Amino acid sequence: MEDETDTEPNPHPHGGFPAGKVFLSGIAGFILAAAINSGALLADAEQLPDSRSRSVSVAIWSPIEKIASTLKLTWPRNVGDFLLGRNEGEDQIDLRREQIGAVPQPSAEEWPALSPEKPPPTYELDQTTAVASEPVWSSGNPFTIWVLGDSMVQFFGETFVRMAERSSLVAATSEPKLASGLSRPDYFDWPARISDVMTEYDPDAVVLMFGGNDAQNIKTDEGQWLKRFTAEWEEEYRSRIALVMDLATGTEERVVLWVGQPPMRGEGFDSRMKQLNDLYRLEADSRLDVHYLDLQSLFTDENGAYARYLPDSSGKLTDVRLTDGVHLSHWGGEWLSEFLLDEIEKFPGLDGLWGE
Amino acid sequence: MLFPTLAFGLFFLVAFLLNWLTRPHPMIWKIVMLGVSIFFYGWWNWRFVFLLLWAITSNWVAGTQIDKHLCAGSKRLAKNWMRTAIVGDLVLLGVFKYYDFFAVELSNLLGSSATVPLLELTLPVGISFFTFQAMSYVIDLHRRDIDPMPMLDFAVYLSFFPQLVAGPIVRAAEMAPQIRKQPDPRRVASGEAFHLILRGLFKKVVISSWLASAIVDDVFSNPESHSSQDVLIGIYGYAIQIYADFSGYTDIAIGVALLLGFRFPTNFDRPYSALSLREFWKRWHITLSSWLRDYLYIPLGGNRGKQSDTYRNLLLTMVLGGLWHGSTWNFVIWGFIHGIALSVERILPNRRNHPVIRWFVTFHIVCFAWVFFRADSLSSALDVIRALASLPSSAELTSSLSVLLLVGMMAAQFVPYSKSEDLKRILSRQRILVQGLTFGFGLVLIDLFGPEGVAPFIYFQF
Repeated sequence: MEDETDTEPNPHPHGGFPAGKVFLSGIAGFILAAAINSGALLADAEQLPDSRSRSVSVAIWSPIEKIASTLKLTWPRNVGDFLLGRNEGEDQIDLRREQIGAVPQPSAEEWPALSPEKPPPTYELDQTTAVASEPVWSSGNPFTIWVLGDSMVQFFGETFVRMAERSSLVAATSEPKLASGLSRPDYFDWPARISDVMTEYDPDAVVLMFGGNDAQNIKTDEGQWLKRFTAEWEEEYRSRIALVMDLATGTEERVVLWVGQPPMRGEGFDSRMKQLNDLYRLEADSRLDVHYLDLQSLFTDENGAYARYLPDSSGKLTDVRLTDGVHLSHWGGEWLSEFLLDEIEKFPGLDGLWGE
Repeated sequence: MLFPTLAFGLFFLVAFLLNWLTRPHPMIWKIVMLGVSIFFYGWWNWRFVFLLLWAITSNWVAGTQIDKHLCAGSKRLAKNWMRTAIVGDLVLLGVFKYYDFFAVELSNLLGSSATVPLLELTLPVGISFFTFQAMSYVIDLHRRDIDPMPMLDFAVYLSFFPQLVAGPIVRAAEMAPQIRKQPDPRRVASGEAFHLILRGLFKKVVISSWLASAIVDDVFSNPESHSSQDVLIGIYGYAIQIYADFSGYTDIAIGVALLLGFRFPTNFDRPYSALSLREFWKRWHITLSSWLRDYLYIPLGGNRGKQSDTYRNLLLTMVLGGLWHGSTWNFVIWGFIHGIALSVERILPNRRNHPVIRWFVTFHIVCFAWVFFRADSLSSALDVIRALASLPSSAELTSSLSVLLLVGMMAAQFVPYSKSEDLKRILSRQRILVQGLTFGFGLVLIDLFGPEGVAPFIYFQF
């Protein structure tokens, strides 16, 4: 201390401790927490997008977890997880692997080549899809719709459910999973979940929206990391899109809508989402039962650019996006929901489902 | 860099070490702490560091000029400098936070005849907090309540990372002496700090996050499909959620500052035990409500004029307080409800009523106003109220656990302050190693009971 006389009298009733000892005790606390929690921390690190920070995190937590497990320091956390029923994820991963084997996948040659010069195929709703030959929807036997996807669904899903259920003939369910996608089944296994939903609930229509978290490197089943947007990555990612689409359609006469990503405020992110949209469109176009819905024109201004505020039908400016430049606002969610309901009504046997 | 993350934990260990190693050398300490705080702020978006530096420089220059002119007896020039600084701060806030809101309203008012261009800027985190602190500095200087701070002291004060992004709004009069005087490095209040940090993390990570995902988000995103009981529990749930979220953040901020040798003012004091709206505002976000009182309500005339002037001042203060939270009509309505309720309390004092009735009325007015605060649009808020008023049907979302949690949190509001501090006292009496290990084990329990991924604090958006 340069000036011992300028120190304040101790304001703390219990005296306190020297800063050095507090630092060491804090370190001791962190080490204890890190040791007990090392399994969870390693799992968190493994779920990070493939990057230098992931490699560093995994390199740090792997040996700590190994040592802590050997010394049986992780048991309090394991017991806690067991008591809270937190160890239920592994079955899903196995299920997904089984399904990948069960669903026939087209070879890479069968897919249309992705070329930046090639204009994206124009969206035409396939009106030949028969939803049900003689649909008799009633409140006892409603037309069921499931909306599944990442945080984009979180922001419009419940609005969609509310708007869809204005008709007593419709029962809708929204199931978002934040920060999920098709790139990281180790975080959340969408194919497994979709398979479960189709088997258990057999919905009449499915709305899928993924991509916001998917522009990242992918780890293959063989443990190899594929750099995003390389040819190998595209092949793997398209196989995952294909798997999800095939699981959603199944053998049922079901309306499957794949919602593309809207324009994004960030230039780089917007460009990546457009690349993903091209892949979704190509996969959807190669199937009769999957319909790709383009949101680009719905959420752009007169110059075709991203806009947070857009005029509604009465010309009144409305904020359709959240401040993050990614997600939809309440009004944006209503726009999208209305658009989706209109699209669903275009299918044979479904017109007038929500009245005029 | 959110408080409840590993990244912040590591950052803080380094900050703690640098703080105490350099504290004996004031100049080096100030440069280091400024660097640490700027690193913390730049972690979100490095571009906004320039905004913070601009706020520091412009307000410090204005403060120096105010003091110079006051000393020279030129009150008019001093006042002009104060006004310039306040206008500068309000312009900063206005451009980033309010411009688009008013531009959209103006465009809609003008119809198709004219379109006001929009800026669509990202809101810099913490801007509402550091601009308010900067304004209080120049106003206090002009009032001669404080002495001017040296440039580095002021920079450390305005950028000090524990309170930079979501308060509490610490005034220069509270911080300046603590920056000047060196705290005793042999007496760090570790027990109190560890207790506050653990309590804050528990409120945020476990209670706030759980209530949000278990009931509140569902009710507010789709009120029409829930029973009136569920909607009622959802509204109560939000009242507890926002309290746990914001007071949790404040607890962590105060605890972190304590470890660095700083003592922040109390920001929450069991607000839901209030028996009147007036009392509520003495217990909720105390540093904001006292800021509004000292720099807005009293300069407007406070309660010194006619009764009608007092009501106008109350209404104006609360509406502007609402607008401080965000540029939407919902926040304006939230402030309006509080302004009206505070005025009605003055017209019809309910002191004669039984305390239980007074508490019940106060709490439910606060909850009613929260509906507008939480809903993402006016029509959504009305949907919630409509759903609340619908005929009772079976509750699907409400579980015994959620009811138990709400009752428990409400009951905690009535525990006497001395009792609620028992844990702190017990922890403070322990040996330092026991304190550290208790802290570590507490972190494990919070992580265990908390959901995967924790949403940012609600008050970060303001």
